Amino acid sequence: MLAGMAAVNPEVCYDREGEVIYRRKKAEKVGIVSGGGSGHEPAHAGYVGMGMLDAAVAGNVFASPDPARILNGIEHADSGRGVLLVIKNYSGDIMNFEMAADLAADMDIPVRSVVVRDDVAVKESTYSTGRRGIAGTVFVHKIAGARAEAGGTLEEVAELAQRTADNVRSFGVSLSSCILPAVGTPGFTIGEGQMELGMGIHGEPGIEQTAMKQASEIAEIMVEKITADLDYSGAETAVIVNGLGGTPLMELYILAGEIDQKLRAKNITPVKYLTGNFMTSLEMAGASMSMLRLDDEMKQYLTAPCGTMAWKEG
Amino acid sequence: MGFQITPKEYVDYIILAGEEIEKNGEYVTALDAKTGDGDHWVNLNSGFQKLISMQEELKTMELAPMLKKIGMTLMSAIGGSSGVLYGSGYLAASKALKEAGTLDIDTLYVFLQTELNAIMERGKAKPGWKTMIDSLYEGVEAYGAAKEAGQDERQVMEALKRGAQEGRDRTREMEAVKGRASYQTHKGVGELDPGAVTMCIQLECLSDYILNHKL
Repeated sequence: MLAGMAAVNPEVCYDREGEVIYRRKKAEKVGIVSGGGSGHEPAHAGYVGMGMLDAAVAGNVFASPDPARILNGIEHADSGRGVLLVIKNYSGDIMNFEMAADLAADMDIPVRSVVVRDDVAVKESTYSTGRRGIAGTVFVHKIAGARAEAGGTLEEVAELAQRTADNVRSFGVSLSSCILPAVGTPGFTIGEGQMELGMGIHGEPGIEQTAMKQASEIAEIMVEKITADLDYSGAETAVIVNGLGGTPLMELYILAGEIDQKLRAKNITPVKYLTGNFMTSLEMAGASMSMLRLDDEMKQYLTAPCGTMAWKEG
Repeated sequence: MGFQITPKEYVDYIILAGEEIEKNGEYVTALDAKTGDGDHWVNLNSGFQKLISMQEELKTMELAPMLKKIGMTLMSAIGGSSGVLYGSGYLAASKALKEAGTLDIDTLYVFLQTELNAIMERGKAKPGWKTMIDSLYEGVEAYGAAKEAGQDERQVMEALKRGAQEGRDRTREMEAVKGRASYQTHKGVGELDPGAVTMCIQLECLSDYILNHKL
């Protein structure tokens, strides 16, 4: 899979040993590294390129890459100005990325981390790992990447990345499960005519199963869940209407139209939309909405140029 | 003069532990299938088999670099959460034992205590959460108490083994806080934790190796 991604994108190289996709031309700047289990394409390798990630590290399907691979990614991304790790909040990812950060520190590579926990379907809790990181992570890749491209120091890039992570919320709905290739059968099923609200991108249980709803009702639920968790009133925002892998783009546009109406009715102004497959769950049917509350600095870097396979700007 | 384990002898212990883990495959996997993913033994075993295949190289190394090499190898070969936890334990031990050439009653204690702390920190987990930590924690506690009480080295090693076994057995009644078993309604109560079982196997082997060959 990664070999294919490198074959179709001349801007990146594939390190087969370390399962890392990295920028062909190493830039003299803070490096940005992300990664995680496979099965979420185009995340994360599709975001490697100018203005976003410098390296993406892939694990097996839905499993974190090990620290040696992540360290390899850090080394590919490091130009002497330090490296920022963008991590989605799963216990496996956290442990492996933190271990890699320790190993990098032993090699005198300065490393900072930001953990994304945007999924409002999960309650924050002191015991469990807490909120999952899902498609909102892509905003962190973009804004941190642009800040680094503009010459920001590791401190500056990490601060803005953290602020972006703090201001993004997401909520997803699923209409079908997905099948891990190594297992061959679905880990769970959703009945015909049913949908699950708040399911995770690995098929983790959501908050409720309900009868299939119209796009307008789904949009209503997404907007309500997200705006109940963070005050967006009067704000400019950026929105990802994300397909989970098995949803036609046509349906995503229908959903985006409904979301836009609901937001404007709430005096929220979306200034930037991304509609398509940005963080998927194999062939799962369903969609998620992620919304970022923008400030001037975030907006500036959100719209700055980037050139990756999955997101091009300018 | 008490026991001294050279780096070369530590590799001999690893081989014994690897053989013992290999033997317990069906048992551990059946246990894991009830509460977890069912892949714990396969992953851990491939880590130890990898170490066994590297024994010639490992036996040429000094203690601290050897422990680091073992940690890095387990991290990659086991993978997942267990890999990074064992890896963290060995890497931290490697740092703590930079000056030590061999393991004796004191440095082995430092080794195990460092490993325990590193695993708890990396996993953000505590004793009582039905994990591999429970065997190690009880083993280290018993080791420390016996040493403190001035017992002879044979008794201290017996205490380590007994503590690990008690920790393992206690996981039967514990509720899982982390990992796959924590999603189940009964939270794994009534079954031993597979990670505690395999950790206990290693501590039993370590203790037996010292009792049989060094004391």
